Parts: sequence; C-alpha cells; structure tokens
Amino acid sequence: MRKHLTWKKIAVLASLIFIALYPFLHGNSYVMHIFVLFFIWAIVASNWNLLMGYAGIFSLGNIGFLAIGGYTSGILAKSFGISPWICILLGGLGSMVAVTLFLGFPALRLSGIYIALLSLIFADSLPSILTQTRKITGGSMGLHDIPPLFPGMERIHAYYIIFAAFLVILFVIYRIIHSSSGLAFMALRDSQDFATSLGVSEYKEKLKVFAWSAFLTGIAGGFYVHYLGDISPTTLAIEPFLLAIAMMEMGGIGRFPGAVLGAVIIVFGNEFLRLAGILRLALLGAVICLIILFFPGGLMQLVDWLDLKIARIRQRRSAPATS
Amino acid sequence: MPPSASSSRRAGILPGRLTIRDLINALVSGFISGALYASMALGLTIIYGVIHVFNFGHGIVAVLGAYGAWLFLTSLGLGMIPSILISCVAMFFFGLLIYKATIHPLLQKPNWEFSTIIFLLGFGIFLENMLLQAFGPRVKSIPPFFEGAIEIAFVRINWHEVSLVLIVIAFVVALHFFLKKTWIGQAMRAVAQEMDGARVVGININRTFSLAFAVAIAATGFSGILLGTKYYMTPHIGWDWMVKGFVIVVFGGLGSATGAVYGAFILGIAEAMATLYLGALWVWPVWFFIFVIILLLRPQGIAGGRTL
Repeated sequence: MRKHLTWKKIAVLASLIFIALYPFLHGNSYVMHIFVLFFIWAIVASNWNLLMGYAGIFSLGNIGFLAIGGYTSGILAKSFGISPWICILLGGLGSMVAVTLFLGFPALRLSGIYIALLSLIFADSLPSILTQTRKITGGSMGLHDIPPLFPGMERIHAYYIIFAAFLVILFVIYRIIHSSSGLAFMALRDSQDFATSLGVSEYKEKLKVFAWSAFLTGIAGGFYVHYLGDISPTTLAIEPFLLAIAMMEMGGIGRFPGAVLGAVIIVFGNEFLRLAGILRLALLGAVICLIILFFPGGLMQLVDWLDLKIARIRQRRSAPATS
Repeated sequence: MPPSASSSRRAGILPGRLTIRDLINALVSGFISGALYASMALGLTIIYGVIHVFNFGHGIVAVLGAYGAWLFLTSLGLGMIPSILISCVAMFFFGLLIYKATIHPLLQKPNWEFSTIIFLLGFGIFLENMLLQAFGPRVKSIPPFFEGAIEIAFVRINWHEVSLVLIVIAFVVALHFFLKKTWIGQAMRAVAQEMDGARVVGININRTFSLAFAVAIAATGFSGILLGTKYYMTPHIGWDWMVKGFVIVVFGGLGSATGAVYGAFILGIAEAMATLYLGALWVWPVWFFIFVIILLLRPQGIAGGRTL
C-alpha cells in the first residue's frame, strides 16, 4: 500500500484547513454563524446515521435527544448557575439516561417499524411536556438568556470551540464504528441470528449504541443552546427533523462521513433557499424523494464513483510506463 | 347550563368535583372521536397489512382528501355528496399513480423498508407545503351534514355527530364486505396472509398491491373529509391525525382491521377521559404513555397475530 495520500484524504485535509483558517481569510460573521450551525447539525446527523445506518435501529426521534440535552444544559446553567462546560456534559448524560430509559429499553423488545413509531411519538410528546412544565422550561416561549460558554464569548470563540467539539465527536463516532462494538452492531444489523449465534449480546450492543448516540447528540444540544442563547419547542418541529433526515439521505445512510457531507449541502442550501419562503420545505421534501428514487447511495455514491474513475485514470497512466 | 355545572367543569383537575354528567358527556364525545379515528386508521392498517409499507404520508393524504372535497364544495359549488364522491375517486387514482410511479420501484430495492418510509415522509412534507402554498395557512372547515341537535336526558348530541357515527359504521361494514366477499378483497387478504401462497394460486401480486394502496388512499381521503367536518383543518393538522393513527394501529395490532376499529374506540374514550381529568395539554403524553405500555406488554396489539 503505497498510496497513503489519496485524493479523498487531500480533500478532507484541505477542507479542514479551510474551515480552520476561514475566520482569518474572510471572516464574515454571518457565514461563520452558518458554519457553527453546520458543525452542530453534522454532529446530530452523524449520530443519527450511527444509530440508523450502522446499527440499523430505525430511530426517528433524534431531534428529541438534541432537545433534551439542550434543555437540561440550559436550565442547569441558567437557574443554578453551574458552569456551562459541566452543564453540557450533564446535558449529554441527561439525554443518555432519558433515551436509554424511554427508548433503549423498550426498543430491545421491538424491531423495525415499532421502534420508528415509538421514537417518533417520543419526540412528538416532548413539546407538550415542555408546555406543562412552564415554570422550569419556559413553556412554548422557550428558554431565553442562557449564559454563553464563558462570559464575553464572541462568535469567533464559539466557532473554534464548536469546531473542536465537532472534530472530537466525529473522531469518537469513527472510533465507535471501528471498535469491536461497532463490528458487533453492524453484524446484528446485517444478520441478527448469525450474530447472536456467534455470541454477540443483542441487548448490550443495542443499549450501548443508543446511549452513545444520545450522549453525543445531547452534547451537541448543549453547545447549541450555549451558542444561540435560547431554545424553544420549535426545535422539535418538523423542520429540523426534516433537515436532519435530508442530511443523512443526501450523504448516504450507513456511510461514515456521509452525514457530514449531507450537512454541508443542506445547511448551506437551506440558507440560500430562505428566499423561497414557504416553498423551502416543499423543496426539501422533494429533494429527499428524488434522492431516494434516483440516488439511493447519496453523495457517498458519487464519491465512490469518482474514486473508481480516478483509479482507472491512474491505472491507464501507469500501465504504459511499467510495460 | 346552571352555574354549578360550569364551575365543576372548571375545577376539572379534581376528580372528586366531577359530576356524572361530565363523565357521560366525555364518554359520548370520546365515542364520536373514536368512530372518526377508526375510519382514519383503517387506511393505514390496510396498506401495512397488504404491502408491509408504513404510510408516513398518511396524515397529509387525509388532509388532501378533505381539501379536495372543500374545493369542490366551495369553488365549484357542487353538492355535498358529489364533491365527496369526486374527491374519493380522485384520491383513488392519485394512490394508483403514486404506487405505480414510486412505491413499486422502491419495493424492488434491498432496503425498501427504510426507503419507502423516508420517501413517504418526504413526499408528505412536499404535499403539505404545496397545499400551504395553494390554500394558505388559514383554518378551513367543511360544513356539517345536518344542522340541529338532539337531547337525550342531559346529553346533547349534534345530528351531525350522529350522522358521522352512522357513516363510519356503514363505512366499516362496507370495507369489511369488500375485504371478505369481493374477489379483489379476498386477494388482498390472501396476499396479506401468505404472499407466496397467493402467488402460487395465481393472484397477481403487483396488481393487488396497487389496488390495495389505491383503496387505502381513497379510504384515508374519505376519513379526512369526515374529520374535516368535525374539527377544523389546516395543511399541518395531518401530523396530529397521523400520529394518533399510528398509536391506534399499533394498539389494535399492525395490519389488523378489526383491531384498528377496537383500538380507535378505546383510545378515543381514553383521550376524552384524559381531557376531562387531566386537561387537554396532557393528551399527548397520555398517548405516548399508552403507546409505551402497549409496546412493552403486548407489541402484537389487542387483536394480535391476525392480518386484515
């Protein structure tokens, strides 16, 4: 294996360097804001992809994980004055505990469509719980004036902090996928009977992947609230849900950096489409439909195709030289 | 209404203050909404029972049917019955078209279960926002079938609601007859029960699938019209209807038509009770709670194991 520097690695490195240097190169405050949103949504979509694409657990409630993490962190920081850094961790833990209890354990007994329905209704019943507990959560008005990560935080600080979190969390997801646990839940996804017969514990692996996905999404929720300063039940509305689904589909379900690629397109595309008004959501829906019908592999399919083309060109070039 | 009754209703959080009158009123209204939910859940359960595709665009299909009838009523000035009929027939062909153009090719793919669900979800949102673009977000409602009300003892029921319950009963009976007695209905049940066996005896699977899908879409559109006469409608209301339909269908056992009808009545009454004792805001958590309990104790539903 001589090819350590494939075009994909070069592209990833180049884009990372670009993102890291962006505030100095151009530094438009608005574009930086969109980049921060992209980091957060990429984390959410990648975790969703971990659960849905890799573990084959058809969850539709991941926006709920984000909201639980965000609310926990926001309430703790605002009402109890705990440091936002600890709050973010506690928010992740809170999301993990809630999701494992209310989704993970029931999901052990269920399969496919039942998990989809359970998780959808789980996320759907959160807004009414939030309006019921108005005194703590601010009801339908939402939670405002959540303290930032540290006093006097500016956008450029948040940019680098959340960029770092984005890199760390993606690395964690990568490690999970390539760990023995990742192998186990992929085996469960592909052939459950075979995997269990080899001694893979279905309960343990499913709970583990639920817990990880909820924890990491909850942390993303924490960064989200401390960056934006407020959160309301509209986070749980149909639009963020649709955006995250579109990111996953766009990138290719069950492929590691796919969701990140999808997030780039969807987050930036969504900002451009603000001009379209109401039609924006219709367009998003149409995009999801078209991708499923005509490009089921998403962007990763395109990457594979490019990979093949480039490999062929290289072969053609190197073949006359060696012969 | 005497002042004592209204004050007891206002203090609805305390069960001790509730009169038997409130309880019976809640039971009646729960029964009526149960009937409407039953008509709505049937389309969902037929599609799942026969094709094993879960229709995540169910809510918007119901809304589409209702908007169709509303459009024929108000813009074209047709009578109530013709506009409902035209709307249902249009929904039938719409379902046929959707099946042939999209669901059928998707079913050939290896991960069809996920892709059909996400496709229908995306398609539902597409339709919802197109409806929003076309008709605007303002609340619309279809006028009731009959005016006036009937009063039995202290329970007051609108004639419209009585007619709704009767229509739903007729609808369920007609659907039952269709599934049990007609050739195509029997073919649908055969496919639902044993697909390979049905293929062996010469049933055209593809044709049965497309007809089942189209019939279910038409039935859903019809239920949307009924719901639109009782409640208000906006392009977004479909989500609420759909999530309720999901709980009902799982409660009754996925793919079981009888179970869906029982489930709808039980949950309709449970919802009315929750509204009475806990307040309207607790309705959604109660639905979730019932759903979790059912999934944990009896995931195959109350009529479990039987298909269609």
